[in-house]
Amino acid sequence: MAVEDVKLPDLGEDAGDAATVAFWYVEPGETVEEGDDLVQMLTDKATFDVPSPLAGKVKELLAEEDQEVEVGQVLCRIDSEG
Amino acid sequence: MTQPAQSARKRRRFPPWLRKRVPGGGEAASVRALLAELNLETVCSSAHCPNLAECFARGTATFMILGAACTRSCRFCAVPTGPPGPPRADEPEAVAEAAARLGLRHVVVTSVTRDDLPDGGAGHFVRTIAALRRRLPEARVEVLVPDFQGRADAIQAVCDAGPDVFNHNVETVPRLYPSVRPEADYRRSLAVLAAARRAADEVSRGGSPYPPRRRKIKSGLMVGLGETHKEVRAVLRDLRDAGTRIVTIGQYLAPSKQHVPVARFVEPTEFEAWEAEARRLGFAAVAAGPFVRSSYRAEEVFAESVAWAARPARRVSRPAGPSVATRGASGDTPRGT
Repeated sequence: MAVEDVKLPDLGEDAGDAATVAFWYVEPGETVEEGDDLVQMLTDKATFDVPSPLAGKVKELLAEEDQEVEVGQVLCRIDSEG
Repeated sequence: MTQPAQSARKRRRFPPWLRKRVPGGGEAASVRALLAELNLETVCSSAHCPNLAECFARGTATFMILGAACTRSCRFCAVPTGPPGPPRADEPEAVAEAAARLGLRHVVVTSVTRDDLPDGGAGHFVRTIAALRRRLPEARVEVLVPDFQGRADAIQAVCDAGPDVFNHNVETVPRLYPSVRPEADYRRSLAVLAAARRAADEVSRGGSPYPPRRRKIKSGLMVGLGETHKEVRAVLRDLRDAGTRIVTIGQYLAPSKQHVPVARFVEPTEFEAWEAEARRLGFAAVAAGPFVRSSYRAEEVFAESVAWAARPARRVSRPAGPSVATRGASGDTPRGT
């Protein structure tokens, strides 16, 4: 197992404002390619689709829909060895 | 789905075209590290620009000088209002250092508004342009300036420093100034642009590698604040008449609930119509789209304006007679929308 954390990238909001999880495109157990959409985030200014930085199997989701997430916070974990 | 662990504020949903894919990595981390190391502000970060992730990943950023707090409180802007401290003496060199390490060919510098400074911050812009010229003599320099309260000497000083693009935004239509930009004045902003255009048409006394006639005057506005088509059309005409040759039009997005609410989400096809209209009005370059901002992809917009200026003169040679007479009286181009 080589589990990697996928963290929320900087979307341009203030540190205190963060972003809200709009909805998840994937669920645990699903296999993703690098670049596949993982989750849609909402800020005050736009909707952002966050792609997967690696290929592998989604192990767990660490933020729920409607939850606020800060930059750098772990969104989900992906096992690069499937 | 289990219940949310913590209740979050309900955010409004955006129309489907206001969606961006976050680019994976790229140069964003090193851009951020560089800005932190040199203690530099960007309007990208301070104004919560939705393009930040995209531009940083491409290794570009728009520097914001003269502090992180502004002396005005425009109702559309996320930059916090003052009191700002004295300008950093080493900031011009820091900007030049950052631009050099980013390998920028086109450097965009903007600022907060400094109504508290005797020269409105013009001297600081001059020193920043000079530092960039010394450090990156091949790069183009674009400045996005405040109105300097319309002061002719401040505007002239910035122009004399020889930027390649002089950008000053009118932001919205005149009727909405009281609620959107209460401390500014539409006519004054047009006068700033006209003054910069006059200076550009004179013999250069600055260090720009380009002849002054090619200094481009640029302006920008937001739509979706409650303006009408007629009002936007009038602003475009005013800008053109003031000597503006590059214009940017983007969707207003409210930075918070305390700011002016979005009146309307303008559809992409409407932005395309504005682009066509602006070109018909004779602008050398137009950028119009939901996420377009005045400094967004500034290098490409500038290149478009240079190409337009360099276009070969049209030579119309067609025989007189029946082939001309068969055209309708209104010409063969459709009416603008």
